[in-house]
Amino acid sequence: MKSPPFEYHRAGSAAEAAGLLGELGFDARILAGGQSLIPLMNLRLAAPAHLVDITHAPDLAGCGANGGGLHIGASARQRTVELRADTLAIAPVLADAISNAGQVPVRHQGTVVGSIAHADPSAEMPAAFKAQGGTVTAQGTGGGREIASEDFFEGYFTTALEEGELVTGVTVDAWPAGTGHGFLEFSVTAESWPIALSAVLIHSSGGAIDRASVVLGGVAEVPLRRPEAEAILVGAEPTVEAFEAAAEAAAADIEPLSDSFGSGAYRKKLARVLTRRALTAAAERAGGEA
Amino acid sequence: MSGSTGSAGPTPAAARYVGQSVARLEDPRLLTGGGRYVANRTPPGTGHVAFARSTRARARITRLDVTAAAALDGVWAIWTAADLNGDVGSLRGSLVLPGGGGPPDHLLADGDVRFVGDPVAVIVAASPAAAADAVELIEIDYDDQAPVLDFETAAGRDDLVHPELGSNLSNSAEAWPPEVDEAMAGADTSVQAVITQNRQANAPMETRGLLAEWRAFDETLDVWISTQSPHETALAAARTLGLAVHQVRVHMGDVGGAFGQKVFLGREEFAVMVCARRLGRPVRWIEGRSENLTSSNHARRDRADVSLGATADGRFVAATIDHLEDNGAYSNGGSPGNGTMACVHLPGPYRIADVGWRTATVYTNTCGRGAYRGPWQIESVARELIVDMLARELDIDPLELRRRNVLRAGDLPHNTATGLTYDRISPSECLDQVAEMIDYDGYRASQRESRAAIGHAVAPNGGPPDAGTLPGIGLAVYVEPSAIGFGALATEGATVRVEPDGSVNVYAGTGSHGQSLETTMAQIVADALGVHPGDVRFHQGHGTPYGFGTGGSRSAVIAGGAARAASAGVRAKLLRIAAELMEASPDDLDLGGGAVSVRGTPARRMTVAQVAQAAYMRPDALPDDVSGGLEHTARFKAPPVTYSNAAHACTCEVDVATGAVRLLRYAVSEDCGVMINPMVVKGQIAGGVVQGIGGALLEEMAYDSDGNPLTTTLAEYLVPSAAEVPAIEYGHVVTPSDTPGGHKGTGEGGAIGSVPCVFNAVADALAPLSVRLTAGPLSPDRIRAAIVAASG
Repeated sequence: MKSPPFEYHRAGSAAEAAGLLGELGFDARILAGGQSLIPLMNLRLAAPAHLVDITHAPDLAGCGANGGGLHIGASARQRTVELRADTLAIAPVLADAISNAGQVPVRHQGTVVGSIAHADPSAEMPAAFKAQGGTVTAQGTGGGREIASEDFFEGYFTTALEEGELVTGVTVDAWPAGTGHGFLEFSVTAESWPIALSAVLIHSSGGAIDRASVVLGGVAEVPLRRPEAEAILVGAEPTVEAFEAAAEAAAADIEPLSDSFGSGAYRKKLARVLTRRALTAAAERAGGEA
Repeated sequence: MSGSTGSAGPTPAAARYVGQSVARLEDPRLLTGGGRYVANRTPPGTGHVAFARSTRARARITRLDVTAAAALDGVWAIWTAADLNGDVGSLRGSLVLPGGGGPPDHLLADGDVRFVGDPVAVIVAASPAAAADAVELIEIDYDDQAPVLDFETAAGRDDLVHPELGSNLSNSAEAWPPEVDEAMAGADTSVQAVITQNRQANAPMETRGLLAEWRAFDETLDVWISTQSPHETALAAARTLGLAVHQVRVHMGDVGGAFGQKVFLGREEFAVMVCARRLGRPVRWIEGRSENLTSSNHARRDRADVSLGATADGRFVAATIDHLEDNGAYSNGGSPGNGTMACVHLPGPYRIADVGWRTATVYTNTCGRGAYRGPWQIESVARELIVDMLARELDIDPLELRRRNVLRAGDLPHNTATGLTYDRISPSECLDQVAEMIDYDGYRASQRESRAAIGHAVAPNGGPPDAGTLPGIGLAVYVEPSAIGFGALATEGATVRVEPDGSVNVYAGTGSHGQSLETTMAQIVADALGVHPGDVRFHQGHGTPYGFGTGGSRSAVIAGGAARAASAGVRAKLLRIAAELMEASPDDLDLGGGAVSVRGTPARRMTVAQVAQAAYMRPDALPDDVSGGLEHTARFKAPPVTYSNAAHACTCEVDVATGAVRLLRYAVSEDCGVMINPMVVKGQIAGGVVQGIGGALLEEMAYDSDGNPLTTTLAEYLVPSAAEVPAIEYGHVVTPSDTPGGHKGTGEGGAIGSVPCVFNAVADALAPLSVRLTAGPLSPDRIRAAIVAASG
């Protein structure tokens, strides 16, 4: 379990990190908390020639409410974000997602943005981010740009980032009062990877649901939005029948892969059960806030 | 050192510390990061070893090129079979000597590879990272052959794991008298099942590892190794390297678990020693986690075709087992497997007049089989599962069915149909105690209510049930053959020495790797010598009397017997000397609190330190027939087997929609005779139970259809954490053994009883859905699939 050789670079600012990435090229990777990248390197599944450490760049460390949304800087630690009052107020689905990821010591080290940029389709934070919606801020030597959460995830460990770009932060969009969320994952043991997860938000102003978001993790190459399920929910009363129908639609046409934790068919089953249960939890929370 | 047997002193030692939960003497060190393992030792100039391993399950090597790797900076040596295999003799463990059949002795893969992980080349480099870098530069081309992966069909295959042997069948045995079939045919009811157990890994916290240092100036080899058996290490190293045993010094520090994996040396460990001798410098190998999971040893891959016949009122009349086990390619120590041991224990704690058994062991192109905590435990899995199946068939409660058949005090001594003789066991008492602990009757009553309450909710629309939580309770009862003392395993030796200052050193041939021997052996010696356990220091490894080491639940009985005998000899001498010095009769002396005193005259006393000082420094003051010094070496010979027994009970709930199992309570009633240290007994039970929970629910070393391991890290090979394990409750029944001290072994029982106990609890939960579970692990996916299948 020894990493291949690599060269370590420390960036003092976002601009310096972008400069280093541009200079070092495709063989360079950003190092933030290192909770995904370093194990992959030690298993020799990843072998970047250069690591650019951004955890000493003050302009990447921030986190907090920002213009109605929640801004999370690229080096903000998961545990910090998880426990902040503004996270719980603005993006409780993200707080739930973080609390399910790894163990507390891991979350003290790992970063939210790092997990999102790593784009593991079975990970918690990408799914929660996509479910609530927001934007990714990317910076390259040529300047910055914003990428919608909906467009960010392109495949297994693959994002819309271009060579030489790093994510400097993400902003999670706020949902209005009357929103409830549900985040449920299934893992065989408390410490093992989730083999399927469901992140949902529903909003109602009393009575029928008027806005819904359903995203599955662990069942496809990206965190997977389920528009058919959302269509069933919008306009429906928050009933057991509606949630069952939406859950069925969410899992209807997915074709998850099999691995040692479970078959594709089992993941499909889990997607349905977890979505049903997550929607039930979301409705209880929405009701409480309405 | 004096004679080989110890006699009890004039006044018998009082059990002051034996029986107490003395705080572990090793804990301050281990709990503050002061433990010292092989990886803590890096002498200057150490070479670090990595192995290049086969990525194919069965293939000819058509090209092997180490040129690029050898040119890498920091690489000191790369050797393959052509270089090294001639340096060694037999690689067998001392219990399976040359001529006993088995696969060829390939230190490194020679011409072909026989499982994914088969070591092909060894690299010694300036750092572990450089060695790992070199592995990636070794070029190997293979001509793939069809691998033998399915152990159930391996024996009939023309493709051979070991072409030298002409067959994939390693060995077989049977004892199936015709009257067994007659008895089974005459039974009112019989049930059959094919039970397959999941391939598991020992997965110790500390992987294998050793540091070997060849000293050319006096031609000796020092080995620091993570081991259960320093003497087996020395014997095997000497035999394999062509040395005398006195040229080999084996040192052991702390060991982070083994569970059977570290009794016998593996090919890698021999290779490291060979490298050290060739290079004349310290060479160290610390096995990686993935290597440990894929290349050290696997266990438990068994199939049992089991049947149980009974009268209409549930009296067992006959049982049979047709057992098959997967030995992998190169078994640990060259072991021919555990089949006979498993089969003869099939009757377990029950009266069964007729028992037939048959066993076969086969080779496959997978990681070799090795001992794992209760290596024969398929007998308990098969028996306890089939008992529950019979209970359901007869509609008799599983506890009641066991009570009708379990051995009672009046049945002892009991000769099993398989030729074992049990005595001084208490399965009936343990069963009753555990039923009380878990409130069995109360649980059944509440279970009936909750089953009625969820009734219709679990099966809507005629489809598979999709909601609700089902409660279940499971039992398992077993008799554990502890302290197996046949042949070379029969004895252990110990030396007890009181030093001139009164402090005590104990030297034993054991290999404690978590069993707390540092404390328990000190308790035994402290009682004999009237000192505090903290005054006693325990030593293992080089310089200790020969012993087989620690494994097979043997140390309490056999090593404990040796420590007891050795310290009794010292006690007798200490009292003789004290009597002489104080002009009293040895019979009038009391020994305790670190001092000897004349009974009735407490002012006439000497400390143990004063007596010891005289023993060494004032030889002229000693009795004429007493030599100087204060030490004794003794060897204890144990009975062939010392049986312990236990009953387990647990409760669970199963989430019907996801198949997830949550264990709620776990209770164990154990009879390990007189406990040296009840806290240590609890620890042994807890560790074993947790491993069995893993074996029942989580752990499976999986291969794909090409023979590639799929579970290569602890992210995929799932072991239980605190979150998966309920608080374990302990009950004790104490039936002393007929060995000195009355102890019995209890190292493995937890891992034996827990697999069938958990299985039975889950099956009980799912009984209303007519789900039948016969293959582990009971993963959520597998349970859910079984629920769906049963509803179709």
